[in-house]
Amino acid sequence: MVAADDRILLDWDALEVGETFETYQYLLTQEMIDTYRLGVMDPEASFPTISHKVDVKQYNARYRDAGSVNARCAFHCYNPPVAGKTITVRAWIADKYLRRGKNYIVTEAVSVDEDGRLIDRVITHELKQPTEVGKKWGG
Amino acid sequence: MGRLVRAYEVGDELPPLVKQMTQEAINLFEGSGGDSEPSQFTDEETARETLGTEGTVASGRMSLSFALELLRRYFGSQVFNHAGTVDLRFLRPVRPGDTITFTGTVTGVSREVNGSRVSVDVKVENQRGDTTGVGQGSAVVPNAFLPQDE
Repeated sequence: MVAADDRILLDWDALEVGETFETYQYLLTQEMIDTYRLGVMDPEASFPTISHKVDVKQYNARYRDAGSVNARCAFHCYNPPVAGKTITVRAWIADKYLRRGKNYIVTEAVSVDEDGRLIDRVITHELKQPTEVGKKWGG
Repeated sequence: MGRLVRAYEVGDELPPLVKQMTQEAINLFEGSGGDSEPSQFTDEETARETLGTEGTVASGRMSLSFALELLRRYFGSQVFNHAGTVDLRFLRPVRPGDTITFTGTVTGVSREVNGSRVSVDVKVENQRGDTTGVGQGSAVVPNAFLPQDE
């Protein structure tokens, strides 16, 4: 049986800049760090938080839409996270804009660990018409 | 690890960083973040449905991770991991089988209270010479990591 999807269908026009999401917490494990480092082929990669996509995780928990494509991403490094610590993430809608007839949403998130260490800040611009990728760049 | 002390000048070029993209690497990246569901990154059918592409693509966040590596290697982890930034725009999809090369050029050096902010332009190209991403990065390099005459 498929569970009902009770998320809100995205209404881009109605989406409010500044909308905040529920705080998200997760335990960062050494396995997560090791797997991230293998994936990015960098044994010293210091911010495995990137692959957790925490800036859009709570958006995706609240809204359903046609999907998205990452158009731009900014990342600020403060302190590399430590395995075994719980990370707390606060995320919000930082902006939205229309460019060349396409809708974009900008999400922003700040991560802090259980000791209060500021970890990082990520700002992502997502194009909300993902089929544009196939139209523009083909197969 | 020793302290990396160096001078920075506009026009300095960063050592390039080359990455060979594979589906296995993409799967590891996605899995490390807890994404186990089929996605446009890990499943061809989902990519066709969501993006209209014939195959999977790599998340832009992988390119972001590589850009961080480019800059961390240049500035040193003691500097970059505590005061580094990257802002990258994704211009073309990166796919399994692609070889992507990250390059960087120092575009600005400005004094701040306790050091210097060094700005870098970042460019990403695939094996065909297509630009897949462009952006900027920076780090605030503390005085202790700069030559004494700066």
